[in-house]
Amino acid sequence: MAIALNEVRLLIEAALPGAQVEVVDETGTSDHLKATVTAAQFEGLSRIDQHRMVKKACQARFDDGSIHALSITTMTPDG
Amino acid sequence: MAEPELKDKVEELIKDHEVLLFMKGTPEQPRCGFSMRVVGVLDSMGVEYAALDVLPALEPLREATGEIADWRTFPQLYVKGDLLGGCDIVEEMADSGELAEMLGAEATSETAAEAPASAKQDLQQADPQQSPPMQIENS
Repeated sequence: MAIALNEVRLLIEAALPGAQVEVVDETGTSDHLKATVTAAQFEGLSRIDQHRMVKKACQARFDDGSIHALSITTMTPDG
Repeated sequence: MAEPELKDKVEELIKDHEVLLFMKGTPEQPRCGFSMRVVGVLDSMGVEYAALDVLPALEPLREATGEIADWRTFPQLYVKGDLLGGCDIVEEMADSGELAEMLGAEATSETAAEAPASAKQDLQQADPQQSPPMQIENS
């Protein structure tokens, strides 16, 4: 079962209000996704914690198999 | 709920190895592209690490690492007892030089005595060679 890229983006944006989120389909099969997330909420967090926040936002879609792999890049607005 | 026995075992492994990789397959024969990429990064840096093949007990290990580190996908690289990350983070930190700094500092065990007091000094050195994949009984 595939998932709409837009839905993933909305899930992440809902979990991280104000974040800039870009989601792309890496394989054309809509289950290997790549998310680039820029959020002020990441400030001061380790990378693993930043990734945890993004993953958590999409967890339900991992659990139901909609997403097989989500590659994540996180940034803070300051760079 | 993770099986308590397995969870204990995983926690012990994480504690006992400075650099520990949970991966799909073995370093010689990775069974997943992401695991292969992390192995590639570690090998290219000449880092000593222990590797554990998660495939024989994938779901129980997901449960265990989910409870221990709040992370359920593999590969997972642990450094000094903490989850550093999966493929994305490892590659990002390798590119930025942070990984070399972090692991390079540890590779020189002779200087461990000079490490800051905050460094965990009771950690055992990882096995000189990569550990063979541990057998986990999936009972």
